[in-house]
Amino acid sequence: MELSDANLQTLTEYLKKTLDPDPAIRRPAEKFLESVEGNQNYPLLLLTLLEKSQENVIKVCASVTFKNYIKRNWRIVEDELNKICDSDRIAIKANIVPLMLSSPEQIQKQLSDAISIIGREDFPQKWPDLLTEMVNRFQSGDFHVINGVLRTAHSLFKRYRHEFKSNELWTEIKLVLDAFALPLTNLFKATIELCSTHANDVSALKVLFSSLILIAKLFYSLNFQDLPEFFEDNMETWMTNFHTLLTLDNKLLQTDDEEEAGLLELLKSQICDNAALYAQKYDEEFQPYLPRFVTAIWNLLVTTGQEVKYDLLVSNAIQFLASVCERQHYKHLFEDQNTLTSICEKVIVPNMEFRAADEEAFEDNSEEYIRRDLEGSDIDTRRRAACDLVRGLCKFFEGPVTGIFSGYVNSMLQEYAKNPSVNWKHKDAAIYLVTSLASKAQTQKHGITQANELVNLTEFFVNHIQPDLKSASVNEFPVLKADGIKYIMIFRNQVPKEQLLLSIPLLINHLQAESIVVHTYAAHALERLFTMRGTDNTTLITAAELGPFVEVLLTNLFKALTLPGSSENEYIMKAIMRTFSLLQGSIIPYIPSVISQLTQKLLAVSKNPSKPHFNHYMFESICLSIRITCKANPDAVGSFEEALFMVFTEILQNDVQEFIPYVFQVMSLLLEMHKNEIPTSYMALFPHLLQPVLWERTGNIPPLVRLLQAYLERGANTIASAAADKIPGLLGVFQKLIASKANDHQGFYLLNSIIEHMPSESVDQYRKQIFILLFQRLQNSKTTKFIKSFLVFINLYCIKYGALALQEIFDSIQPKMFGMVLEKIIIPEIQKVSGQVEKKVCAVGITKILTECPPMMDTDYTKLWTPLLQALIGLFELPEDDTIPDEEHFIDIEDTPGYQTAFSQLAFAGKKEHDPVGQMVNNPRIHLAQSLHKLSTACPGRVPSMLSTSLNAEALQYLQGYLQAASVTLL
Amino acid sequence: ALRRQRVEVSVELRKARKDEQILKRRNVSFGLRDTAASLGEDKGNESVQLSMEEIVEALNGSNTELQLQATQAARRMLSRQKDPPISQIIELGIVPRLVEFLSYADRAPLQFEAAWALTNIASGTSEHTKAVVEEGAIPAFISLLSSPHMHISEQAVWALGNIAGDGPLYRDALISCNVVPSLLALVSPATPVGFLRNITWTLSNLCRNKNPYPPLDAVRKILPVLICLMQHEDRDIISDSCWAVSYLTDGSNDRIQIVVDTGILPRLVEIMASLELIVMTPALRAIGNVVTGTDEQTQAAIDAGVLAVLPCLLRHAKPTIQKEAAWTLSNIAAGPSQQIQQLITCGLLPPLVELLEKGDFKAQKEAVWAVANFTTGGTVEQVVELIQSGVLKPLLNLLLVKDSKTILVILDTISNLFTAAEKLGETERLCLLVEELDGLEKIEALQTHDNNMVYIAALNIIEKYFSEDNPDLQPGTGRDGLFDFSVKKQDFNF
Repeated sequence: MELSDANLQTLTEYLKKTLDPDPAIRRPAEKFLESVEGNQNYPLLLLTLLEKSQENVIKVCASVTFKNYIKRNWRIVEDELNKICDSDRIAIKANIVPLMLSSPEQIQKQLSDAISIIGREDFPQKWPDLLTEMVNRFQSGDFHVINGVLRTAHSLFKRYRHEFKSNELWTEIKLVLDAFALPLTNLFKATIELCSTHANDVSALKVLFSSLILIAKLFYSLNFQDLPEFFEDNMETWMTNFHTLLTLDNKLLQTDDEEEAGLLELLKSQICDNAALYAQKYDEEFQPYLPRFVTAIWNLLVTTGQEVKYDLLVSNAIQFLASVCERQHYKHLFEDQNTLTSICEKVIVPNMEFRAADEEAFEDNSEEYIRRDLEGSDIDTRRRAACDLVRGLCKFFEGPVTGIFSGYVNSMLQEYAKNPSVNWKHKDAAIYLVTSLASKAQTQKHGITQANELVNLTEFFVNHIQPDLKSASVNEFPVLKADGIKYIMIFRNQVPKEQLLLSIPLLINHLQAESIVVHTYAAHALERLFTMRGTDNTTLITAAELGPFVEVLLTNLFKALTLPGSSENEYIMKAIMRTFSLLQGSIIPYIPSVISQLTQKLLAVSKNPSKPHFNHYMFESICLSIRITCKANPDAVGSFEEALFMVFTEILQNDVQEFIPYVFQVMSLLLEMHKNEIPTSYMALFPHLLQPVLWERTGNIPPLVRLLQAYLERGANTIASAAADKIPGLLGVFQKLIASKANDHQGFYLLNSIIEHMPSESVDQYRKQIFILLFQRLQNSKTTKFIKSFLVFINLYCIKYGALALQEIFDSIQPKMFGMVLEKIIIPEIQKVSGQVEKKVCAVGITKILTECPPMMDTDYTKLWTPLLQALIGLFELPEDDTIPDEEHFIDIEDTPGYQTAFSQLAFAGKKEHDPVGQMVNNPRIHLAQSLHKLSTACPGRVPSMLSTSLNAEALQYLQGYLQAASVTLL
Repeated sequence: ALRRQRVEVSVELRKARKDEQILKRRNVSFGLRDTAASLGEDKGNESVQLSMEEIVEALNGSNTELQLQATQAARRMLSRQKDPPISQIIELGIVPRLVEFLSYADRAPLQFEAAWALTNIASGTSEHTKAVVEEGAIPAFISLLSSPHMHISEQAVWALGNIAGDGPLYRDALISCNVVPSLLALVSPATPVGFLRNITWTLSNLCRNKNPYPPLDAVRKILPVLICLMQHEDRDIISDSCWAVSYLTDGSNDRIQIVVDTGILPRLVEIMASLELIVMTPALRAIGNVVTGTDEQTQAAIDAGVLAVLPCLLRHAKPTIQKEAAWTLSNIAAGPSQQIQQLITCGLLPPLVELLEKGDFKAQKEAVWAVANFTTGGTVEQVVELIQSGVLKPLLNLLLVKDSKTILVILDTISNLFTAAEKLGETERLCLLVEELDGLEKIEALQTHDNNMVYIAALNIIEKYFSEDNPDLQPGTGRDGLFDFSVKKQDFNF
């Protein structure tokens, strides 16, 4: 490609076509450009166009095309064609910097990006003059040019902020520092001087401040990896000027915009970042400057307004103070009573004030308000930062700070008392202040876990919180109502129980408040109170204590779901769930009305499920209704099926993915309630449950396995007779699950149920295949979890089909297989099995292998007999796992195991643990003794001789204990 | 786990460390009075002011009195506190003449002045030292070591120290001129403390620098004397002999072994426990170097009691001490599980957790390495103990740190913790714990980190433990649309 006018003309035409909205014109043009970009001079033609074209739109288009071309082609990949010829590379590098600097901003940005892409590959070795070229431009005095250079430098150097320390990187940084640090420092000083000469020229100031922001950013990049010698030597210059800039104000630079941060705010924010970098990494060297920054930053805070545009700056600045004040060697900066007072008065209190923006959110965007206020997603807010500062100061100055704030709290409360309707914000601030002062540690689950002992929380509660909540109107001063309810909620572990009981009717009353925040907080507070623990692992508040309020509580909770804005309020639904769980049998009289309200709700939200938490608690509430009712009256299950199946069918038919796992769990619960053979309505659904598409969604797997298990427990014979052709499909599901490390245990649940419940003739033809599959997984990718499940399964198989059958099927797959599994898997791994039932299954299975398997006595396998016995005794004598108490009531979504499936696991649809050997064997140790006795009677003398040759003394002692307990002796 | 040597990159951005031992020293005259005057070499207090030209003229002339005066004038200029004119003096071309004066055994005052002047010239840059060495000063100074005048011999020791401090080249030049025996001969119970300080310092410079290391036979000769000096009561002498040992141990394992074999480690640990920074710093460095060696060498340091001293140093007010102690600990934690066990038994976990929580940044970085090594080499039980000591919270908090490498090391450590949890079947509990401590949100945020390796490490943890197959076992779909139950048999061997 020649650098000719004709080619420029052609290129112009094609570039123009690439802007055409019609794809029939645009696409071929793009294709053409791509086909010619490999030619020599192509990039130079683009550079010529972006500089000299008559049309601005072509200039911009050429610059974008050029940048994308560089992005795709500049990097030289080993063993691949060099896509840009060397002469073009040289020409580009020679011309691009001046070209970038002389271009208008729109084009400058594209070329600056291109330079940094090239720089990433070529700088510094293959582009040695770049730095000098850039530095020379600092002399130009033209800040349009200088800002271009600074922007380019920023894009070249910002990688120093994230790359690993290496010789290569540090050599480059050293080179950059040698060439760049001094000129940058001089430019910094000169720019600051120019700012004062042009203090009255807005447009000049804007350009100069843009430079200062870029310079401050470059400072951050260059100082990131380690403290360079140059910057250590020149710390005085930089830090003094940064300090001055922090304190600088210029009316001309103040923006009218209330939301968007202006140049001054951006610069000061970056300076706060720079100071924080030094304070974190170079504390030793920065120590002499730090006090000045503390003072400057707090003065900055004192003088910065309440507008939203300052929020980031203010919260950054407060966080800086918070991180410094809790360090031992800066303690003295804050120690002085006047300093503390002024920080409290001028930094903390003002930033805790309820602002117009907060008021707006409280009324119009309550969901966001609740999220920020309740769930702590307030990281960048001023209130959060102020709170963190209070906590930081309390580390060393709890007494003085508490004293200072007590004064403020009192005066604010007095202000409020004078004229509540005007001064209610004062009380809000007072409550917030008390809260942040008193709370030392907090968790979602328990509220405040550590409180400041200097604050009398109960007294404040009785004098200032309760009166608000007792007021006749639930809708007056909604913000104060919300504050009061939140106070009960977070200090529930500090306020005495009798006060909490007095609050319950007040909270129930506030479920009727119009304000979304207020009735949500009331529901949440009730829910939290109901989950508090009393003694003996029971609830603090009992069903009996709630007796007088049951009806009004249920009525108000369901009515709250009809208030505007709360139709899918998760806090209310969670409170409903918790109320059911706490009240248990007391809710039975209300169930008919409750279940119809819940079904209607379910029908309504299944059209468009959007609140996962709400939905989850709704299903939990349905499960609770079923369990509580059927516990008292098992026949009621039919009426629940009647009420629910219509909605469930609709959910399954419309494939409402979010709800399907829940539906399966509720169905499992209902099916398990049946005492007799499986109803035909369930059997009709069976083939559908085996559809692969259902098993592709991870959230479906646990509930579906659970449901299939319920089918096998209640209807194994029906399946064997009426759906025998579906057995391969059922085993296919097992195979699908066993192939996954995440789901293999689910596969075993299913397999165990199949082996336990299906008539043996229905599975005979598949048995060998099942084992081959398991051995394959064992060979290729065994995990501890898999081995544990595998061990339980083979022992269950042994119990059901006998030890000989187990040995025969193993050895029919491969000779000596049985011995290999004993030696390599069972003996060394059996100790890993956990869980009472699982251990028991293994014990009974192994006992069978020891005593009911002739090849163990008279083949090569005999040598494994004693080691196996020893392993079994080891399994018995391991410390038992603690049994899990009935913790269901306290369960939270967050507690349910698993990550992705967390939302689908319903605690109240829980399955009772099943013990397949429960009736057969009561005490597995005695069972072992009796079985050994039986064996020794059959072949006298052999058992004692095997024991005496290789069983270790300790194990032998245990064994003698078992024999004694069973009152048997070995012959 | 890997033991990490002292230097990871050879390029430095920082200033030379302030707590390093000084490489070259000038003999400076303090105050107005000339130190030489007190030695009685000067006549009265009248010092003669000479210009540069006059100095050259007098030195090259034959008037002995003027030669002494000029040499003294030059020495005086070189000894002034601020901006000694070293380069200008060299440019006068008088260095050869000064070297020549060193051999004038019958003119002790001139010898002394010349030696002093040359000492101060050699104390400058490498170019300055070179100017002295190239005129043949090395043999001249070495023969002055046996001068009957102690102050001349002492000045020669000082000059040789400056030459040795220039680098491995001159150091070895000195050694091949047999400087070691003559120097060691000066050490005796009768040697005055001030003199002994100079000798110790010069010996330490002879042990200093790598690439190459100082010759083995020289080291073998110097070491026994250093061991004696380390027992001295003067803290400068202890300090410089510890610095010497720290240089000797800063290298390959066979170099470390030579020091370990002397049995000096218990003394080093004792010095390490001293409250005086000047002696504790080099002793800590030496011990820190020893534990970069083999498991046996590390064990020798443990047996010498290093673990009992470290808790205190990890809590030291000075950040560089914290850092050095944490680095030492990190290398001990890189050892076999028995050594990790000793570390637990000696109560190192609480100070380690404290350091992670609120130490200086440099020390926090080393503490992170210590935890990483611990989780790589420790047994499952030991890792459980580590977690129980509260390491997780500060470790996860440090994911916010402004250093990509540290973040990556923490992520690797978290993976190690999960591996241990898997063995115990406690993966889910660890997941919960990490989430409760706000670790999950931090790891999730790192999936957008600009550093690719950090991003990948974070992603792996999320995918492996916070989300979740065996493709060859996956069933196909049969004609009935359900999964097909089938599998091909292979040979099994577990």
